[in-house]
Amino acid sequence: MSILVLRLAALFYLGAAIAYVVYFARPRHGWLAGAGQALLGVAFLVHAAAIGLGCKEFGGTEFFSLRGGLVVLSWLAAGAFLVLSRMYRIPTVGAFVTPLILIVLLPALFLTHAGKLEAIPEEIRRPVLPVHILSAFLGIAFFAIAAGVAVMYLLQEREVKGKRFGALFSRLPSLDSLDQLNQRLVRAGFVVFTVALVTGTIIAKGVWKSAWSWDPQQVSSLVVWLLYGAMVQLRHTGWHGRRYAMLTLVGFALVIGSMLALSIPGTTRHGGDYQ
Amino acid sequence: MSHGRELYLVGLSHKSAPVSVRERVALSGDSLKDALVGLHGAEGVSEAMVVSTCNRVEVYVYSRSVEAARRFFLDRTAEAQGHLYERTGPDAVRHLFRVASSLDSMVLGEPQILGQVKEAYGVASSAQSAGTYISRLANRAFATAKRVRSETEVARGAGSVSQVAVELVEKIFGDLKGRDVLLVGAGKMGALSAKALRDLGADRILVTNRSSERAAALAAQVGGRAEPWDALDSLLVLADVVLVSTGAPTYVLTRELTARVMKGRRQRSVCLIDLAVPRNVDPECASLENVYAYDIDDLQKVVAQTHQARAGEAIRAEAIIEAEAMTFARERETREALPVLAALRRRAEEIARAEAERTLAHVGDRLDDKGRRSVEAMAQAIVNKLLHGPTARLKEAAASGDATLPGAAAELFGVEADEPSRSRRPSDRKADDAEGAPSPGSHP
Repeated sequence: MSILVLRLAALFYLGAAIAYVVYFARPRHGWLAGAGQALLGVAFLVHAAAIGLGCKEFGGTEFFSLRGGLVVLSWLAAGAFLVLSRMYRIPTVGAFVTPLILIVLLPALFLTHAGKLEAIPEEIRRPVLPVHILSAFLGIAFFAIAAGVAVMYLLQEREVKGKRFGALFSRLPSLDSLDQLNQRLVRAGFVVFTVALVTGTIIAKGVWKSAWSWDPQQVSSLVVWLLYGAMVQLRHTGWHGRRYAMLTLVGFALVIGSMLALSIPGTTRHGGDYQ
Repeated sequence: MSHGRELYLVGLSHKSAPVSVRERVALSGDSLKDALVGLHGAEGVSEAMVVSTCNRVEVYVYSRSVEAARRFFLDRTAEAQGHLYERTGPDAVRHLFRVASSLDSMVLGEPQILGQVKEAYGVASSAQSAGTYISRLANRAFATAKRVRSETEVARGAGSVSQVAVELVEKIFGDLKGRDVLLVGAGKMGALSAKALRDLGADRILVTNRSSERAAALAAQVGGRAEPWDALDSLLVLADVVLVSTGAPTYVLTRELTARVMKGRRQRSVCLIDLAVPRNVDPECASLENVYAYDIDDLQKVVAQTHQARAGEAIRAEAIIEAEAMTFARERETREALPVLAALRRRAEEIARAEAERTLAHVGDRLDDKGRRSVEAMAQAIVNKLLHGPTARLKEAAASGDATLPGAAAELFGVEADEPSRSRRPSDRKADDAEGAPSPGSHP
């Protein structure tokens, strides 16, 4: 049941992505940006309903798999972007972010659990667990949007510096606004990710009897956290622009890479039976 | 055409007359108002509007003849003879639409002209020389210009070097609030660009020059602050946009200097615009991170591209203008049929009322109230039934652009149509026949 609702949400995401992309190509039709935002809002709500139904069906266990992770991640990214587009007038960013959300969600539409979901182990069921999961995914969602913005920055920089002044030049926002948006997203992502790290450590202390046990998940999270923390610091020493955008992409590549690597069974105690 | 009135245009522009002639007939403020009052009072003229900018002076009159408009120019200077162009009726309408849409401008697609035409209409309205016809015409011209601007790319892109500079700066910094502009040297293009950047909200304009007097003079001109030439290095550290146009034969901003400045700026982005020939900014500066450097060729290339693109779009704009001019003409014909209808109906109703009264005077005392009302109703019903067919026909003919039938109807029934009322808006294309004709004399 929840999968059907999820597919419906995906249709709305598709509509939003099409509206934003067409708006990017034909900025004269301003209503398309509004349509994109409206469709994205509907998609977000339907997606929320799908997650709610999924919780009812599987008792929350589905979010302990890669598939569930993608579902939550794309939902949070959509929500974060909706909030952002209320704060800034950045409809052209939608053309980059909404397709990304759709791509992240895509595998989850066709993978099914096929009944091999295991119950969540009793020892990790604690009040901080939902905080841990949500903050981890929300942090990653911020990093993902930041990466999209960084790509836009690099494209625009190439136009401005290369004296091209073509279609991209006129459609993409100014370098300064992209740079600032990137910086704010990185900072927000870092703060939220810090919460995830702290709550994760608390849970580890309880379950694994030690806060730090060199688990690959812990190591990779720490590396990601240090990298983004360094970016927050470097900002104060004048790092910005192209270098900053590159670093944002490196950070996100690291996030995605470790997510995929850690989904291979047996690499980490994080997930599975947590033993 | 009702009463034989027609739109006439007489004018001269940058295409037909040199500035020495244009400046003799150009008008503004009170003199423009006086001229409008004079035109309006002239024989046969019922409405008038004058568009006067530095590139054109055009007189539009809704009149029985072109004479008054022609005299407007020749009374001011005999030199105008030979530089004037004239348009009549649909051609005059089309001309105004082209002017408002900036298709007749020196720089195709430049944005100011629409505002200037609006102003011309505003002055004509306040001088009460613009009546129903010119109001409709002007509003349709504004709508046409808006359509051209939104449906074609005629007004897109940067049409001048300073506009390109502004666009570039906007793509780098976005908002210019809190940014400083540094003007190095006293070139004219630099001053123009600096002014444009200040209009966009740039914080400060700093001006420096080898000659401190010239720096002071230029600073006063662009509303900036003069700074000593020796302080160039520290000024460069401050400024986000640097416009360079000195007469120096070598690079004023070398790569080495720029690299040093960038360190001082802690790598904050800077935009260097070199407007000088020979160049004053080493093109190698562009290879530094967060330095965006352009020379005059880069900017002029964009201007050339814009003009090319706009010229291509002009064809599409002409099609819009053609369509709008046709709609305008059709609407006018529709409206011209309506006064005939209203006059016809009024006449018929007068007769019906008079006949009903005569009948009632004879037999009224033998009837009760209901009977009296029946007699009145019968008279009205005969009018309605009789006029139903002709009404439909006339409207149909008018809508399809046939102006002969309304005239024939007026002739046949011996009624004369009045001018359409002032209050009717251009938007209602088909007024229903309940809308009465205006009282005679509401319109001079």
